[in-house]
Amino acid sequence: MIETRSTPARYQRQAIFAPIGPEGQQCIQRARVCIVGVGALGTHVADTLARAGVGFLRIVDRDVPELTNLQRQILFDESDLDAGLPKAIAAARRLSAINSEIEIDARAVDVNQTNIEGLIGDVDFVIDGTDNFEIRYLLNDACVKQGIPWIYGGVIGSYGMSMTILPGETPCLRCVFPDPPPPGEAPTCDTAGVLGPAVAAVAAIESAEALKLATGARENLNRTLLSLDIWDLTFDRIPLGEPNTECPCCGRRQFEFLNREAPSHTTQLCGRDAVQVLVHPPARITLASLAERLKPVGEVGYNAYLLRFRTDGYDLTVFPDGRAIIKGTTDPVEARSVYARYIGM
Amino acid sequence: MIYLDNAATSWPKPEPVYETLGSFLREAGANPGRSGHRMAVRAAAAVEGTRAALARLFGVDDPRRVIFASNATDALNLAIKGILSAGDHVVTTVMEHNSVRRPIRALEVIGVSTTKVPADAEGFVTPEAVRAALQPNTRLVAITHASNVNGAIQPVAEIAEVLADHGAFLLVDAAQTAGTLPFTLDEIGADLLAFPGHKGLMGPPGTGGLILGPRVEIDDLTPVREGGTGGNSEEDFQPRTLPARYEAGTVNTVGIAALGAALDVIAETGVAAIGAHEREMTTRLIEGLRAIPGVRVLSPSDPERRVAVVSITVDGWEPADFGAALDDAFQIACRTGLHCAPEACQALGAFPGGTVRFSPGFFTTAEEIDRTIEAVRELAKASLQMV
Repeated sequence: MIETRSTPARYQRQAIFAPIGPEGQQCIQRARVCIVGVGALGTHVADTLARAGVGFLRIVDRDVPELTNLQRQILFDESDLDAGLPKAIAAARRLSAINSEIEIDARAVDVNQTNIEGLIGDVDFVIDGTDNFEIRYLLNDACVKQGIPWIYGGVIGSYGMSMTILPGETPCLRCVFPDPPPPGEAPTCDTAGVLGPAVAAVAAIESAEALKLATGARENLNRTLLSLDIWDLTFDRIPLGEPNTECPCCGRRQFEFLNREAPSHTTQLCGRDAVQVLVHPPARITLASLAERLKPVGEVGYNAYLLRFRTDGYDLTVFPDGRAIIKGTTDPVEARSVYARYIGM
Repeated sequence: MIYLDNAATSWPKPEPVYETLGSFLREAGANPGRSGHRMAVRAAAAVEGTRAALARLFGVDDPRRVIFASNATDALNLAIKGILSAGDHVVTTVMEHNSVRRPIRALEVIGVSTTKVPADAEGFVTPEAVRAALQPNTRLVAITHASNVNGAIQPVAEIAEVLADHGAFLLVDAAQTAGTLPFTLDEIGADLLAFPGHKGLMGPPGTGGLILGPRVEIDDLTPVREGGTGGNSEEDFQPRTLPARYEAGTVNTVGIAALGAALDVIAETGVAAIGAHEREMTTRLIEGLRAIPGVRVLSPSDPERRVAVVSITVDGWEPADFGAALDDAFQIACRTGLHCAPEACQALGAFPGGTVRFSPGFFTTAEEIDRTIEAVRELAKASLQMV
């Protein structure tokens, strides 16, 4: 068939899948996608989309690969630990080796309200590969504001969730979860663990959603809050219905996370190698329960005023109002990342 | 909140400071000294009014010898880099803030040599040690008037006497004394005095200046910045007139006007009265803190030889953690760490950890001091429970 011949051989198996077809394949090759966070979910999704031939992939991440990442972050290997390059750069090199015909735009930056609109403004849709709610709620605001679809995904332990947000058409993140969990309240992968297969399962769903978005197969998109547990083998799909007209984000279009004072503020402390992360508004962390969560991954002590936690080259002092002093770095971006991993934001 | 960070920036400000900041741009927001229209003249009058008030405060006859700068750091950079050139020697002390340490260090690469005078365990430098450090080519002695780590007031007048026969210029960093310690340029023997507007002088951030004593001629001090001044526009070279020689570019009219409003309040109240209140609060704080087990107070013992800057270390506590706990659990604002003065912390035996610093101000009350002492007592006895 003529159409088949126009499809490069490398995409042939995908293009002969009837719902995609050669036209769909061309759509994929024209698609522009931003993946925010290339950790566990992000590397899996980026790998799949690069192989599928997505023409433009922007990958954004503020961290560098660490040994504990290799268990599930598929674009990195042991040599990346020595190289010490940012994840975005290391991942871009790997992706270029996988598919040299696509354009990859690596951004080793901390996503915040000053740069997020620029990062997503010129793409067709956005994929969530973040590990924290601070950025997800910001992403939700920015995508809804600009009318850009985004695919939410999250994994912890053996459990994962995904939801596809089509602004103006389906409920947004805040319709379903009006507010992010306060800092220090939710478990994180660094405190509760995470399984590679759970990541792979959610990443597979996000990637499939991406291919559907790219090819215009909107009737096949996930319009539920999909959750799964690969250990218990339970799967659930909660129908989401219509967007909430009272939703502060997509209903009233008040983009509080984009416009408000930054929810976390870092200050380099005079003297020691230390950065203070201050959250806004102040949280009320129960130090005893945070201590329980952190106990398996490091040394923990606490009293009425603070919790001290030592792990992996970092010393964290956490206070009930959510602030933390992170010793072992002078880099505010690294400090925010450590905060997101152990305390959660 | 209990605000005990006045050594960094004083707060609150007197009401007229807020009022001037709110109204000045609206009513006199033109460029001073450039144009002849009425609003420009008003702006210039406000700047010159503040200049005159500063001259009165520091006992300077000629207000033109008051040079506006962005802050004390900016003024110190002008003094240090404007006075010193290759082959010169400078004497300074271990008690200096980075605003003196770093400009001097930067000049070492162009061939300026440095001798640092040590301090005793209370942070004091002796005139004899300064004398011993002098060399034939010593052109400048740069010393802080009072330490921003423990408040120790240096014997600046005695050091000036030591220099009398030698001829080196004396630069005094008045960051912690301007507005809280009554003195004139003549009384302390300073040839150059750098001061901030936003600390003891109760003005807004972005204000400060350098005062040139009578011994300093314009050929002694090279401008570090050239540009427009509003006069002598046909000339390629920076004018030789004061203060224009050192004030290239439009000054911070709004901030300077607000600083003027603060100076009016200070003149009414009297620097001596302000200093007395701060001394009373400081002594109350030091005595309270000294009684707490596990707390080490780094202040000089003589109340007459210290300003309102009190540093402590607490057994079992990192200063940064202690400060954060004070803020979180007790709403007490202080500063922790090395206070941009690492060698001073070293001299006082608080390096590399630094200290917890409380700096009361004119608006600090006895009740706030007592609550702070109680909070420190409470935290000092809190121990970590391991899980």
